[in-house]
Amino acid sequence: MLKSAARTATGLLLAGGLIAALAAQAQAQGNADYFKGKTVTYIVATAAGGGYDLYGRLVAEYMQRYLPGSTFIVRNMPGAGHLVGANTIYASRPDGLTIGTFNTGLIYNQLVGLPGMKFDLTKMSWIGKATTEPRTITIAQQSPIKTFADLQAAKEPLNFATSGVGSANYVETTMLTAALKLPAKVLTGYNGNDDQLAMRRGEVAATIGSRSSFDQFVRNGYGRFVAQIGGKDTDVPQLRDLVKDPAALSLIALVQSQGDISRLTAGPPGIPPDVLEALRQAYRKALEDKELQEKAAKLERPVEPGYGDDVLNAVVTALKQPPETIALLSAALKKK
Amino acid sequence: MLETMFSSLTAMLTSPYMMGLMLLAVAIGLVVGVTPGIGGRLSIALAIPFVFGMEMIPGAVFLLTMHAVNGTSGQISSIMFGVPGDGDDAATTIDGYPMAKKGEAGRALGASVTASGVGGIIGAIVFAVMIPVLEPVVMAFSPAEFFLLALLGITFIAFLAGREQIFKGLIVGLFGMMLATVGMDPYTGTPRFAGDFLFLWDGLSLITTVLALFAIPEMIALAVKGGAISTVSAETAKYSYRQLFEGVMEVPRHWWLAIRTSIIGAVVGMIPGLGSSAAAWFCYGHAVQTSKTPERFGKGAVEGVIAPETGSNAREGGALLPTLFFGIPASSGMAVLMGAFLILGIQPGPTMLTERLDLVWTLIWALVVGNLIAVTFLLFIMRWVALLTFVNGAMLVPFIVVMAVVGSYVSEGQWQNLIVLVVLSAIGYGLLRFNWPRAPFVIGIVLGKIAEESLHKALELWGLRFFTRPLSLILIGLIVLTIAYAVYRNVRPPSTRAQETVAP
Repeated sequence: MLKSAARTATGLLLAGGLIAALAAQAQAQGNADYFKGKTVTYIVATAAGGGYDLYGRLVAEYMQRYLPGSTFIVRNMPGAGHLVGANTIYASRPDGLTIGTFNTGLIYNQLVGLPGMKFDLTKMSWIGKATTEPRTITIAQQSPIKTFADLQAAKEPLNFATSGVGSANYVETTMLTAALKLPAKVLTGYNGNDDQLAMRRGEVAATIGSRSSFDQFVRNGYGRFVAQIGGKDTDVPQLRDLVKDPAALSLIALVQSQGDISRLTAGPPGIPPDVLEALRQAYRKALEDKELQEKAAKLERPVEPGYGDDVLNAVVTALKQPPETIALLSAALKKK
Repeated sequence: MLETMFSSLTAMLTSPYMMGLMLLAVAIGLVVGVTPGIGGRLSIALAIPFVFGMEMIPGAVFLLTMHAVNGTSGQISSIMFGVPGDGDDAATTIDGYPMAKKGEAGRALGASVTASGVGGIIGAIVFAVMIPVLEPVVMAFSPAEFFLLALLGITFIAFLAGREQIFKGLIVGLFGMMLATVGMDPYTGTPRFAGDFLFLWDGLSLITTVLALFAIPEMIALAVKGGAISTVSAETAKYSYRQLFEGVMEVPRHWWLAIRTSIIGAVVGMIPGLGSSAAAWFCYGHAVQTSKTPERFGKGAVEGVIAPETGSNAREGGALLPTLFFGIPASSGMAVLMGAFLILGIQPGPTMLTERLDLVWTLIWALVVGNLIAVTFLLFIMRWVALLTFVNGAMLVPFIVVMAVVGSYVSEGQWQNLIVLVVLSAIGYGLLRFNWPRAPFVIGIVLGKIAEESLHKALELWGLRFFTRPLSLILIGLIVLTIAYAVYRNVRPPSTRAQETVAP
């Protein structure tokens, strides 16, 4: 009788220990069970088709695979230069069932406090980023400018194409051309691939944009890269090695930090830690999946993932800018 | 060259796998096209996961066919119920729906489906013919020319509105242009007429506007009037396959118009930056302007159905050119298609012509064969579909209103658009009720935006000198001629006018 009681007690103890151990492990692994039978909405802040949609759909497909029992649906919420999507993600219930992707360039909006923004990027639940998008200065093939030095020395101002005033692309172009004292005239209204066509026609001489958008353009012999910001490619000189001015260097660093956190995935503030951890782990497994990487490679979309707190820290750092930089930014956003 | 041309055709036609894929693509493309609010772009984005692992040529044929036949089915609801699936179908509504009201839905559908097919095929021919001159043609059109083209399109309003209504037409057209300015100004970064409403920052949703101006007012009118869409019964209209066939024959009867509008559509498609709805409207305007009896338009002229449909399908062939040979997509749909092509290992660019000529020809043939399959299939089922216009309106209206509301919502996924839908529907119904023209409104909103954006760019690039570019001068000449002709028609002696109004 006593013996059996003792046995039961040891049994209970063992079982309790086991449960405790399991619980601890679950804490570390994140609460993946939470997602069983649940539907996660992945918001893409652009219309279907295009880079954000592509990365979004890949990430959602593979995160679903690594959160067994979950269903991911992709919802396109285009509008107001990613603001609609980002606002919606930020305002959604922090239960881990709504996450999404938007342009990292919203960091600029937050730095200057542009209207329409209803979020604080530092408070969001950061899950990860899929790649690094180095920026390049691309010059049209027919232009006599061959190097960055030529560009600096150009007598006539060059036309630079950007999308719209207030877009990340516009901010970066205006800011960099001003800080580097490049002879530039910044034109707006070139959406989608209009800029490439305008370069072919010769009405625009240069752009500052993601290298991935211009790789094919340059491969086809329509233009050349004269400088690059960030990235591991060695065929184009890094802009930071070509300038000395400290103010310009700090701006280049800001642009680079933008490029480093590209194609991000984030959720609203206040997702419970175990749920967030589960999302982050699923994200990591998804991005490390060979199949996802092969698919991205076929689409000529690079994968250079970053995870969780690393991304959060990068965002926080990017948002800590000296007043001079912010002044430059605000000036860039005030039209001409 | 010739050898590759025919070997790729026979390779496609003799392979059951390829033909099966094309049938499937046509079916998906038609279903997506018939649903308002979702475009071909979404269907390709959703098809991407299935394309991994497909072989290059079958995969490319599948995607292109799906995309190309999209516009072929869009006109069905525009003609039958006045519910356009997107901006270019709205042009078909203007004459298509009045035809349905006259009990001629079969004829209109026969004509429009055939026109789509013919447009698609001529578009493919233009594609093939234009390859050598692609470079100079695309390069000739800069923002200066875009502005003038848009302006030329806007002057068509003078013809569209008819003689008595010219001032009403201008007012409505200007109202459309005014609404085109809603949204974030790309030049100053200031929201105009939009304030803090983010959903307005990208401008009014075109599909919502078009549904509000056409679909909802027509449904209100139908509900008020009672009865069926067709004012004559199926028996009186002698509705049968024969009527459908008559519609089909309208296309060869207007063959010269069909060829011209197909070429216009393909060229507009080729030039990136004009937007996808512009092609159909240019073609519609062209048909009105060149017609001897422009007053028939808007009241059920079959040319008004043929022109936009040839134009919008021919556009696909044109749009493929810069996408394949420059690697620069001419439309957002083509951008997605190009992304999908990359998965298949196709590297768009100038080398396509030297290295992948077989693929180029296969794609041209896919456009031709895909359009043929779509037309045959649609003509076959259209007999039963068109019968719906003889059904009592009380049974139709609720379904169609729901369809319009869903279309308005899903096109951008923003509920605020439903409020816009209601407000603009009230205006649309007012216009309908008091017999004001509505087509100038859509022209204003579609072309007004292009005109404004390209004027800004042209002025920034060249200042006022942009008027002196050679092609600009030609376009200015055309605009002056158009206006002069419109004035002449208005001041002609009343005797010749009286005669004309007797004619149908």
